[in-house]
Amino acid sequence: MMDAARAAQPQTILDRIWAQHVIVPRPGGEELMFVDLNLLHEGGTFFAFDQLRAEGRKVRKPQLTLAVTDHYLPSLNRKAGVAAIPNPAIRNVVEWLAENTREFGIEHIGPDDPRQGIIHVIAPELGLTQPGLLIACCDSHTATQGALGALAMPIGQSNQLRHVLATQTLWQKKPRQMRITIDGTPGAHVTAKDIVLAIIARIGIGGAAGHAVEYCGSTIRAMSVEARLTICNMSIEAGARIGMIAPDDTTYEYLNGRPHAPQGADWSRALEYWRTLPSDDDARFDRELALDAAALAPMVSWGTSPEDSAPITERVPDPAAIADTERRRRVERALEYMQLAPGTPLASIAVNRVFIGSCTNARIEDLRTAAQVVKGRHAAIPALVVPGSTAVKRQAEAEGLDRVFLAAGFEWRDASCSMCGGSNGDTVARGERSASTTNRNFEGRQGPGAMTHIMSPAMAAAAAITGRLTDVRELVR
Amino acid sequence: MQPFTTHTAIAAPIDIAKIDTGVILPGRFLRLRRRPGADYADAFLHDLRFDENDTMRTDFVLNLAAYRGAGILVTGTDFGCGSSREGAAYAVLDFGVRALIGPSFGDVFTGNCLQNGIVPALLPLPVVQDLWRQLKEQPGARITVDLASQTVVAPDGTRHEFAIDPTRRERLLQGLDDVGVTLGHLADIEAFEQAYRTRMPWLAAKI
Repeated sequence: MMDAARAAQPQTILDRIWAQHVIVPRPGGEELMFVDLNLLHEGGTFFAFDQLRAEGRKVRKPQLTLAVTDHYLPSLNRKAGVAAIPNPAIRNVVEWLAENTREFGIEHIGPDDPRQGIIHVIAPELGLTQPGLLIACCDSHTATQGALGALAMPIGQSNQLRHVLATQTLWQKKPRQMRITIDGTPGAHVTAKDIVLAIIARIGIGGAAGHAVEYCGSTIRAMSVEARLTICNMSIEAGARIGMIAPDDTTYEYLNGRPHAPQGADWSRALEYWRTLPSDDDARFDRELALDAAALAPMVSWGTSPEDSAPITERVPDPAAIADTERRRRVERALEYMQLAPGTPLASIAVNRVFIGSCTNARIEDLRTAAQVVKGRHAAIPALVVPGSTAVKRQAEAEGLDRVFLAAGFEWRDASCSMCGGSNGDTVARGERSASTTNRNFEGRQGPGAMTHIMSPAMAAAAAITGRLTDVRELVR
Repeated sequence: MQPFTTHTAIAAPIDIAKIDTGVILPGRFLRLRRRPGADYADAFLHDLRFDENDTMRTDFVLNLAAYRGAGILVTGTDFGCGSSREGAAYAVLDFGVRALIGPSFGDVFTGNCLQNGIVPALLPLPVVQDLWRQLKEQPGARITVDLASQTVVAPDGTRHEFAIDPTRRERLLQGLDDVGVTLGHLADIEAFEQAYRTRMPWLAAKI
């Protein structure tokens, strides 16, 4: 059947996975889709459970949902337990997830679980994220998991989550499709984060709205799964709810042997299917974008949106030079909030603290590249490293990375979303400027009045050493 | 969800434009659970109904004796604009309101109302203004919202036909929220899962 379909019309990976999951087809409208895996965290999800309880509904397939505590979990003093969380509002949210998952029979990776970590970090790590699966998660960065060739979709934390829990399905309209092709070998210290920031800077935060993005090209093929996760993670910052990378041998090697990956004969059958998924060469996309990775430099953001990013070698833009009135006003407002003067060299901006963490950049490779920059140097400002998962933390400690960071004066903490959005109380103070490996530099994202510059782990590490935004290529030359 | 057929209740005029979801349910209530006996009734329009010391603002319309127990609100332009918080619709419902009549409503909020059995009835601004006038002249007057005939009956007896998406109207009349609609396809879902297990045998054990 698949061969016949392929002969009839070239297909994308999205077309194929979509077709495999449609229960009630309504071409052009919302279709009822089967959800293979539903992931949830504590943030806001108590609304969904309260509503189910009020309606007397059950979770239809609890074995296909997994919960993990990540957003509100302290990064410090974890051994003291949940009862020791000082802020009662935060403690409540953490406790409610444990209560709700127990009551509804859902597996919960809680604070003490050795598998605990940020949901988008642990799902691939555990082999839960597999090519061809439709994964729902009540988090805007769900597209991260598309890096392994899954169709990973963000859903709302109340009604949409309630719907998935009660039915194991989702009503979704098929998005338009955009292909972003990245070719070329990036220069030294130009990472996946720099590439995705360059894409967002080029197309804008609404640049891929309404589209599912497939990232292709030789640069992507040469990337590790970890780097691909960083690329897909930021799809939503260009407006795309779905970001995907077709699976290949790199993906299969990454997955093979992971706890939830298929084993034995199942592995062979799965692999055979996965190999049929990649888009046909002549598949048609609604939009195309091409990028030369060799032409890129390490990036930093200067404003209050991820699209406000530029190579570290550039200067803060001058709003007066922007013709478009709306854009000019937005840049003026951003510079006012960021307390930056037009024309300031980006590499001269002093920062108060550094955060290395989040679902964007807290995997083991991220910590390795940051540690390489830090090794033998000392932080000039407070700097925080929060591994993306407890497993990443263990691995980093086995490699001695914790000692590199600690010797350089960095803090080394426990896995959580931490200072990315500050839900757990790890915030940047009002008026402070941070260099952060996270995905969003919105006003107040890391705390009320906090000024955030987003960048790669290597660039954040360099900023920690010098106390200002720094071209890592010059620091380690 | 409670089916909605026809609803006659005391109506209150809320003649303020652009009341966003953050006003309908202020952010600080978002970490509160919504449970029987401890719902969002108090949180609904909290900062319009109470001052910073939590003292009732006696001049606010919903605090006037004649409008106590209002079950319908006649709202201003863009009621429910702003953030997508579903709690805003919960707060409307928990306060005892089953129908809103206004010239426009926030997009996401409209969807959330329909999911929760609240009718957002759209009427042109001049009609809404006339309803405000009548409700102010006769505090405590009743309005009827009849979904079957898509009609609002004003205190003076005038009837106004309102617009609502036909699919949504049908669902409200039957008390079907989206979960109810989906479970109407249960046979399709189960058949799909059966076939899917055969297609993807390595996933079968868990599904």
